[in-house]
Amino acid sequence: MIKKIKASRSEKIILVFIILLAIFSFGSFLSIKDKCLFVKDYDPKKIKFDNPKNIAILNVPCGNVIIELYPEVSPNGVKRFITLVKSKAYDDVAFHRVIKNTLVQAGDLEFGKKENIDYGKIGTGKSGLGTINSEVDAPFDFDKGSVALARTQKYNTEDSQFFIILRDEPLYETEYTPIGKVIYGLESLEQIKYLDKSQYVLRPDFINTLRMLIN
Amino acid sequence: MNIIISFLLFFLLTFQVHANTIYNLIKIPNLEIYETNTSNKLRYLYAKQPFTIGVDNNINCYNSEKKVLDKKYKIIKKNLDKYDQKFLKKINLKYIVLCEDLSISKINTAGIPDNVMKTLILDIKFNELYFERVIHHEVFHIINDSYKELFNEKLWSNFNIKEFKYAECSTCTDKLGLDTYKKTDGFFTEYSRSTASEDMAEVFSHLMTKSNLNNIDPILEKKIQFIKLNLLKIDQNFSL
Repeated sequence: MIKKIKASRSEKIILVFIILLAIFSFGSFLSIKDKCLFVKDYDPKKIKFDNPKNIAILNVPCGNVIIELYPEVSPNGVKRFITLVKSKAYDDVAFHRVIKNTLVQAGDLEFGKKENIDYGKIGTGKSGLGTINSEVDAPFDFDKGSVALARTQKYNTEDSQFFIILRDEPLYETEYTPIGKVIYGLESLEQIKYLDKSQYVLRPDFINTLRMLIN
Repeated sequence: MNIIISFLLFFLLTFQVHANTIYNLIKIPNLEIYETNTSNKLRYLYAKQPFTIGVDNNINCYNSEKKVLDKKYKIIKKNLDKYDQKFLKKINLKYIVLCEDLSISKINTAGIPDNVMKTLILDIKFNELYFERVIHHEVFHIINDSYKELFNEKLWSNFNIKEFKYAECSTCTDKLGLDTYKKTDGFFTEYSRSTASEDMAEVFSHLMTKSNLNNIDPILEKKIQFIKLNLLKIDQNFSL
């Protein structure tokens, strides 16, 4: 005959405590692992825009980043960007250069594509459309969320790469060609994968899609 | 030895990437923004700590007291405001670095121009007497470096009397005096006699500060016209 032993009150308390601890630990593990858990995803269909034809939707692992383009500031830069967006050229392209809380850079169409990423050359690739001239003369506040075309050390070498700044960078005015500003979803970019020891990211995050709101 | 290597490895492996925008742009460390809100879009930066740059780390400069910085900034800005944004863009000048005791290969210098990096480093403690003139002198080196083809040294040298020869370089001579001659003989200062480019820079700086432009001798008059003509080729609206 098996004698049934009743748990004492203190044993019950310990059991409940262990269960709670397990739930808390598991929950924390999941929330830490899911970097997008507390990031708001914006639905562009639910937002009213003043200039919908100048709105680009950048979809990244944590959600949508909504960018307003400024063709009046940099007509050629914006034109190039829209051309590439409309051809879906930025889809599956890596955020190859990321500096924590500073900037994310993507747009290497030659060496940054998910299916044939080349870590040795990433950042040097071209679009095949040639370079365009820098448009740096118009006044522009390079505050947090500004989007600009990247270039080499020389002016007039802009092509397809672009960067978005995650903090104010006043010195970038007259250095880089601004094309727009993030108006919603900057938090999603703050979650883009970065490395502590290098600006260039191994196994980086990718752009899912980049589309104009109105095609 | 192992301890040292371990320490270095630990240091390297724990080193974090910090974005230093100024360093990324002009490759000079330890700088901070002093002023960026200027009418001609010049960006004034200052040394927060001493810095060392250049080939074999041969360029050194030190940080200044804020009081000195504030005082000299006003003088520098007043002088550099004479150049508009359009002209500065054409000559490739954008960043002004303020520091003190600037030296290159241990030789003290008033300024170091670098038109490739669009930067002019200025020693804010350089001789008070010539300070304003020196600012324009250094700006000329930026102009000259950006438009070498316009400021032809051979043509320039032909303005001088046949017997005169410049030194091989500005530091290969003891002709360093910056006092303006009361009576000119083709040169504004003793330093003008060092090299053709220093001579041009001296003419330009005297024009910009409008110092001692009376009783100019014929050789110097030709040099002045040469500088003026070529500046107009760079920017039709440039006025001296």
